Amino acid sequence: MAPAPKPPAPVNCKLLLIGNSSVGKSSLLLRFSDEQWLPEDESSATIGVDFRVHKLEVNGKKVKLSIWDTAGQERFRTITSSYYRGAQGIILVYDVSNRESFDALPRWYSELETYVSDKVVKILVGNKVDKEFSRQVSTAEGQAFATRMNSLFVEASAKTAVNVKEAFTDCVERIMEQPELWDSTSGTGAASNSTGQMPGGGNVNLTADNEQEGGGCSC
Amino acid sequence: MASDLPYAADAEVSLAYDELEVLRIQYQKELAQSYVTVQTKFNYAWGLVKSPIRDHQVEGVRLLQELYRAEPTRRRECLYYLALGHYKMGNFEEAKKFNALLLEKEPTNMQAMSLSQLIDKGVTREGYIGMALVGGAAALGTLFVAGLIRRANRK
Repeated sequence: MAPAPKPPAPVNCKLLLIGNSSVGKSSLLLRFSDEQWLPEDESSATIGVDFRVHKLEVNGKKVKLSIWDTAGQERFRTITSSYYRGAQGIILVYDVSNRESFDALPRWYSELETYVSDKVVKILVGNKVDKEFSRQVSTAEGQAFATRMNSLFVEASAKTAVNVKEAFTDCVERIMEQPELWDSTSGTGAASNSTGQMPGGGNVNLTADNEQEGGGCSC
Repeated sequence: MASDLPYAADAEVSLAYDELEVLRIQYQKELAQSYVTVQTKFNYAWGLVKSPIRDHQVEGVRLLQELYRAEPTRRRECLYYLALGHYKMGNFEEAKKFNALLLEKEPTNMQAMSLSQLIDKGVTREGYIGMALVGGAAALGTLFVAGLIRRANRK
């Protein structure tokens, strides 16, 4: 009897959305997973943490994304830290029309340093580019900061759906290129074997010149 | 390309032992100094409600109830975790009541809507179990009566 070709189990991948309150973390997630948008007066601040599962295919591989959406409010800072555990990708969000949310980024990065390995893939997302007229952070400034922080960078709008899908898929693609991210996660160790040979499996993938290569998404 | 429904992550994921310990120690330290900050109390209550241990959930709900009464600014968070705590303990009526209060204030709150679905599922499941119990009892009763009748007929 010929062995039946079993479809490979999807790879699990954990992403975490962080950033100041009301920069649009939940809106980005809602746009990405449900292709929906809630106007400001209908959306509410996230309580503690929210969670969504989304399946997608990256380079022919099925990926089951679990995306954790955390409250940006100060009062949840201490308790949401426990959600960093096991994350392979971090999506840091700021609002291009709110300087304060950009200036707060170093604090978010220092929190990352405390809770996750430096191999975790980071992407910086400047949200709300639909508010171009009240922009307070330039694209160049955002890009420069992202490069300095060893992160991917994209400007997006959850409202107009610009670059939202790209932000998530760029992050996942980069995670797929990092086999060591799979080894370190409990339960997914076997998955790294089934993904076959990865070129350049060392830990030098996240170097600065690699970032510049991948950073050409501000079109 | 719809994803799975939004999901109340806090319902299933609990903290590691030492994570809850951190919150508990902080709370007890402040308690000993006879001044507990709202944040510390909330953090500890949140950790307790997420725990799979029933005693923890009960204590968490108790603390949240105190916070709800004393801190109007924390009401929305308290309502959500009160609903969650009662849901986890199987008190679906209470869970519904607190969640409805939150939905009244924020009718489009996705987390509250998803928790509401979880509660309804819990009610249905309990209904099935109840029916199964009643059904089982009825079946046993029938057998018993049948046995009595048979015994009576034998005489």
